[in-house]
Amino acid sequence: MIERLRRPWPDHRAERLLGAVSLSIGVGVVAMVVFVATKAWPIFQHNGIGWLFGGGDFETEVAKMSAATTSPAASVYHLRVWPLIYGTLLTSGIAVVLGMVIAVLSSVFIVELAPARVSRVVIPMVRLLASVPSVIYGLIGILVLVPFVGNHVISNQEKTSVQSVVQLTGAGLGVTVVILTIMITPIMIALICEALASVPPSWREGAIALGLNPLRAVRAVTLKAIRPAIVAAAVLATARALGEAVVVQMVSGGKTFSPRPSDGVVFWFEPLRTLASGILDYHDGISSPPLGATVYALALLLLFAAFALSVTGYLVKLPLRKYQTRG
Amino acid sequence: MSTPPPFSSWLWSWRDPKPDPIKAGGSGGGRRSSPMSWRWGDRLVLVAAWGSGIFLCVVAAAIVLYMGYRGIQDLRPALIFSHPRVGETGGFSGGFLDPLLGTLFLTVIGIVLALPLALASAVWIAEYGRPSWLARVVESSIEVVAGTPDIVIAIFGLAIFQVSLLAPFSFTSEGGGVYGRSFIAAGAMMSLLALPPVYAATRDGIQSVPAHMREAAFALGKTRITTIRRVLIPSVRSNIATGVTLGISRIIGSTAIVIILLGGLNIEPQGSVPGIGLLRGTGSSLTSYIYEASPAGEGGAPEKAYAAAFLLLIFVLALNLLVDRIGRAQARSTGMPTVGAVV
Amino acid sequence: MHRIRRLSVALTVAGVVGVAAPVAASATSLVTVSGATSSYPLVALLAAKYVKLHPHKVRFKIAQGGTTVGINDVKNGHVTIADVAQEPTGADAGLDFYPIAKYAICVVTNKANTLSNLTPSEVTSIFTGKTKTWSSVPGATASGNIDVYSRTAVAGVLTSFKSLLLEGKSVVSAATEEATEGLMRQAVESDPSGIGFLSNYQANKGGLNSVEYNGVACNQTTAASGQYAGVSVFFEVTKGPATGAAAAFIHWVERSPAAKKIIASEWITIG
Repeated sequence: MIERLRRPWPDHRAERLLGAVSLSIGVGVVAMVVFVATKAWPIFQHNGIGWLFGGGDFETEVAKMSAATTSPAASVYHLRVWPLIYGTLLTSGIAVVLGMVIAVLSSVFIVELAPARVSRVVIPMVRLLASVPSVIYGLIGILVLVPFVGNHVISNQEKTSVQSVVQLTGAGLGVTVVILTIMITPIMIALICEALASVPPSWREGAIALGLNPLRAVRAVTLKAIRPAIVAAAVLATARALGEAVVVQMVSGGKTFSPRPSDGVVFWFEPLRTLASGILDYHDGISSPPLGATVYALALLLLFAAFALSVTGYLVKLPLRKYQTRG
Repeated sequence: MSTPPPFSSWLWSWRDPKPDPIKAGGSGGGRRSSPMSWRWGDRLVLVAAWGSGIFLCVVAAAIVLYMGYRGIQDLRPALIFSHPRVGETGGFSGGFLDPLLGTLFLTVIGIVLALPLALASAVWIAEYGRPSWLARVVESSIEVVAGTPDIVIAIFGLAIFQVSLLAPFSFTSEGGGVYGRSFIAAGAMMSLLALPPVYAATRDGIQSVPAHMREAAFALGKTRITTIRRVLIPSVRSNIATGVTLGISRIIGSTAIVIILLGGLNIEPQGSVPGIGLLRGTGSSLTSYIYEASPAGEGGAPEKAYAAAFLLLIFVLALNLLVDRIGRAQARSTGMPTVGAVV
Repeated sequence: MHRIRRLSVALTVAGVVGVAAPVAASATSLVTVSGATSSYPLVALLAAKYVKLHPHKVRFKIAQGGTTVGINDVKNGHVTIADVAQEPTGADAGLDFYPIAKYAICVVTNKANTLSNLTPSEVTSIFTGKTKTWSSVPGATASGNIDVYSRTAVAGVLTSFKSLLLEGKSVVSAATEEATEGLMRQAVESDPSGIGFLSNYQANKGGLNSVEYNGVACNQTTAASGQYAGVSVFFEVTKGPATGAAAAFIHWVERSPAAKKIIASEWITIG
């Protein structure tokens, strides 16, 4: 029988084996998601869709959950995670917007404006930024940026103005956004540069022949042409920013608080918590049933958000198909 | 759903910018419009573009230089070869040999688990792929895995490995609860991290093998599977190598999975069987060591954190160079396009 | 400053033996412990001594995470013993509490702030947020706003602190919550306007200013004599009566002179 296995396999057997292995990945992924969903079910059962909105004090409710016994009362399951969602939207949203601006400008710089000598230096730098592990960004954030902001940027007066509600330590929205932006910009640059490079030069030359200067030509023609790539870059960058747990936890101040824009400059110093950093913070409370269900539910929410993002990106790119410059 | 190309692909395939007639001043007498004649708004944008590019370079240089400065200050060979110890009040002393070994160990497990899966899927998608709904399902699920945040993968892993069926993969405490954290648990989730890069690289490589190579093999009477084994896979060796290197960088850089699925500091095997004991045991990795030694953890040893971070950075840079080297060697030898180059 | 819960710094005392030499008897039992960060140093020392006295018989895997995490872990069977730093509450039915030592809860400030004494009402008003600036606190050399540091809800020290030194009131919600004693110590050490509370072991390690409460210094002697008001108990908790290796360990801690010596070095023995 070993002899039969050692002879060259017929194609159909090989095909079926390879297909089975490939399918097992899909089946495995679905099984994992279903399994976690069953564990997260109690939270949805008790809270319904209102779970996503606001109300109640997040931290006291989590405190009640972590002190829960093995079969807690239904009221212990009450939770509203809007502060986490708000924190995630704030940090990822601002970081992606800022990053997109910097990425587009830098990509135009690299592909269109910079002399070859300069590009040869800039590109490895961008490559470097893209490959730095996230924990190093977090380390620099917590050892350099946070003390700097805490000791030299926040004034005592600003601290007093919000003292009754929250303490300002330097770790907060501002530092988180800065570090997230630096982390996701190289990704966007890579995609946008690739797209810029693949726009047929004749399009741009045509615009220049009509009298536009090179920068305007880029704006009028090339940028519009690479809209699918810009969407893809935004999607990829948002997905990366959403999922950053360790870095955000290190520099965001570790307090579930919804930063208030009405506070003016202090808005940038207020601490917050995002979905991902919340999962990291509460993960060892998993043995308490309500808190464990909450953590699994948060993980599912993040997965769903990442999934929805890529579907949205795909849908947004559909009408832009006509601008596709390849093929 | 179209897959965005691996974000790193462009960066590695772009080597020499094409000579650009417009930048170079025009061919045959085209007059380039000088910025002096532009409107103010355009000049501002020009400055902003230059500013962004320079700003990024400055940030990258600052990070590397600062890490280098602190790392050279704090990194000593003694640190690399001594075990970490936890003092009475939780502070770290000693070196980071265990985290280093832990990183190595996790990388090996992750790649060993991911490679067969990724190769099998890539080959199947590229060469067979029937029925087409199945192919779409497989592609989509790998995309879903690629787009899943690290922390979600870690939590899923925790849920799975705390099931009593999987108790042999970590250990059970006397009360009957499964610990759920071990090298094999973390390694299995790391393989999910490494799977998409290896898969994408291999699939792109196989798809770009010129048809004449396949046809020559068929003409000689080889079956499809033999062609794959003997012709296609060897010819995409460098693609696989690039994919594996990208996967390794992802594994080395992940922190959340290690923190959640590998609770511990020193490498502690579980049970008496030597090899399996190590798989079931707990430990740490460079990334989790850095996290614990920073003010976010209890180690309270920022100098050690810098030293470990510097070491980590060196590894990552070395991996970058390796990918570069592989790409260049492949482009030279086979004339086939490098990984992910715009086809 | 940062809120992290960790079950992750697990120290297997003498378990590293497994790497150095193949474990002889496969009958080594494993005792898993999790819970309070305040009793962790004590339990780690006790476990180390116990393993030295009974080599190859038992291994410990001690994790932290907070008192309530430990209680939940032991209720769900994830660990054998829970380290608890607060008195049993009504919700702990079915669990057996074994007291092993007493500890004192000290109010601490940054080293630069040489505040020597606080009255009970001052402590209450500072931690509940009524007093907001250091200028209103007599004897304080710090300036500016008071940065209050507290512990996360799972901490036994917090529960004991509230009931013993804070008249049952809650700490102001704006306070920064630290997940472990180590992080609390780091936070107050690095913030000149900070104030917090720690077990006497951590508070007297140097690097912090330990404040007298109502004229009584916070240390072993005053706690043992009953002078100091904020004294609570470390418990080892099991689900039902302790059995097997866990029972042997707990009984050893309760009775043996070697264990008493370890406890008396930094903490207060019971009975």
